[in-house]
Amino acid sequence: MSVGEKRFLGLGLYTWIYITLGLAAVLTTAALTMTFFFTPVVLADTVVDELRVIGGVPIQNQLLFSQKIFYFHVPVAMSSFLVFIFTALNGVRFLIKKEKIYDTKARIATEVTLLFVLLTMATGILWTRYEWGTWWVWEPRLTTYFILTLMVIGYFVLRNSIDDEERRATYAAAFGIIAFINAPISFAITRLVPSSAHPVVFRAGGGLISSQLIAFFLGMAGMLLFAWSVYQIRLREQDITDRVEVAKAALEE
Amino acid sequence: MAGTHANPRGLSVRQFKAILKKDIVMELRTKEMITSMGIYALLTMVIYQIALSQAGTAFDPRNIAAGLLWLAFVFTSMLGLNRSLVHEKDQGCLEALLLSPVDRPVIFFAKATGNLIFLLIVQALTIPVFAFLFLQQGTYAGDLWMIPLVLTMGSIGIAGVGTLLATMSVNTKGKDFVLAVLFVPIMYPLLLAAVSATTAAVLGGDGYVQQFWSGMGLMAAFDAIMLLAAFALYEFIVGA
Amino acid sequence: MDPVLQEIYRTVLDGAPFVLGAYFLLWLGLFGYAFMITKRLKGVEKELAVIEESVSRRGAPNS
Repeated sequence: MSVGEKRFLGLGLYTWIYITLGLAAVLTTAALTMTFFFTPVVLADTVVDELRVIGGVPIQNQLLFSQKIFYFHVPVAMSSFLVFIFTALNGVRFLIKKEKIYDTKARIATEVTLLFVLLTMATGILWTRYEWGTWWVWEPRLTTYFILTLMVIGYFVLRNSIDDEERRATYAAAFGIIAFINAPISFAITRLVPSSAHPVVFRAGGGLISSQLIAFFLGMAGMLLFAWSVYQIRLREQDITDRVEVAKAALEE
Repeated sequence: MAGTHANPRGLSVRQFKAILKKDIVMELRTKEMITSMGIYALLTMVIYQIALSQAGTAFDPRNIAAGLLWLAFVFTSMLGLNRSLVHEKDQGCLEALLLSPVDRPVIFFAKATGNLIFLLIVQALTIPVFAFLFLQQGTYAGDLWMIPLVLTMGSIGIAGVGTLLATMSVNTKGKDFVLAVLFVPIMYPLLLAAVSATTAAVLGGDGYVQQFWSGMGLMAAFDAIMLLAAFALYEFIVGA
Repeated sequence: MDPVLQEIYRTVLDGAPFVLGAYFLLWLGLFGYAFMITKRLKGVEKELAVIEESVSRRGAPNS
């Protein structure tokens, strides 16, 4: 019953959390620094409207920054979706086993998803403003993330409007699963439905060179470690809060 | 799924018909759902008139007709779904059904079919009114037979997933608000495809047949996947 | 620092430092949040230790 009893490779949970958080900080910092200071510009083979030659390399204004998004924003976005998988997974496990721990896990996973989804929106909007000159464009990826944000918010609205614990857990699990299935469908349909207003502008660009791949993978690993740490911390906190409540109730008797 | 009380197939069909008949008979007696949804749709038309009042004569409402129609259907269907399940809950019908040896999937399909029928009736009433009020100028360029197809395909998704979501939302404190919060983002892809297909049907133009069928295909995919998910989850929801 | 990038930031993309700064702020917020929840976790752990101790102290004479 002692606190922090789980051990892995001889180290307690806390040590692991500190290690992963520190590593996440180092990796994301490295990715950001590489992105903005060292990674050379990708030259896309699109129509050039304003060409300049800088340092002996021809560069087009509009595409200069476009691949910079790739190293910070994309890892954040991918992490958010990867964490959302755990919402659905734990939802399924709850529906099968009806154990409270899976509901808690699903809820915490959704919480981390919300954090990452909001961060995705923030980094995305900043980039949109800078690259396309507008704060918001109904572009497939942005739209999908907007919908995902609404679904995650809906998940918490649903939870907060139910008092009965078992029912809350069941409904939340069901909605988490539905929302998880819906997210890729949303993305596919926003891409496939022909839109008169905006063609798909967002492309990953042709071929990444090794230093760019390194920056991307550093960012990706850092973000995943960060997500894992936050998930573990929050889960532990929830577990302890529950136990405190049980102990308090025992004291009052 | 419900292996504990496996029913022979004929019995399931009978039970399905019985639940559906109960909903329809009740509606024929009270006419509450159709009236409330129909009047709600009419009120939406008035709001459209306000929204378009400053658009000028050069503006052709046909360009956004599909969007306006589906907007009206979204709101009326949310109203209808909420009502249909609030009734069920208030009168204790659902609880009675759960006590009886009826398979959960049968309950789901019966409720969803009932909602689908009411939705389609309201849509069939709304469209002529909408055309009369907003589409007098200009000619209809697409194919008329496309309209009922796209309406049915869209309504299947709305009624199917909507029945699941409304079953959840009526048991919460927020009821209609919670339904809206859950319903709109989940329905987003379906509505996007529906508006695309309906626009093709209304406006015609280059490659409209292809646009229509690609929209229909996307809607069919959405309906298939989401109905399957809703069907699988309903058993858990209705028992909780 | 990449000389091409340096020149780009100076001449063509003079807004780049702002985007960079904003990203840095977001990064800071992220790890600030992690720090905050870690502190909160320690707080509840202490609380739990205190309460569990008093539960066992109270439970002991009776049993």
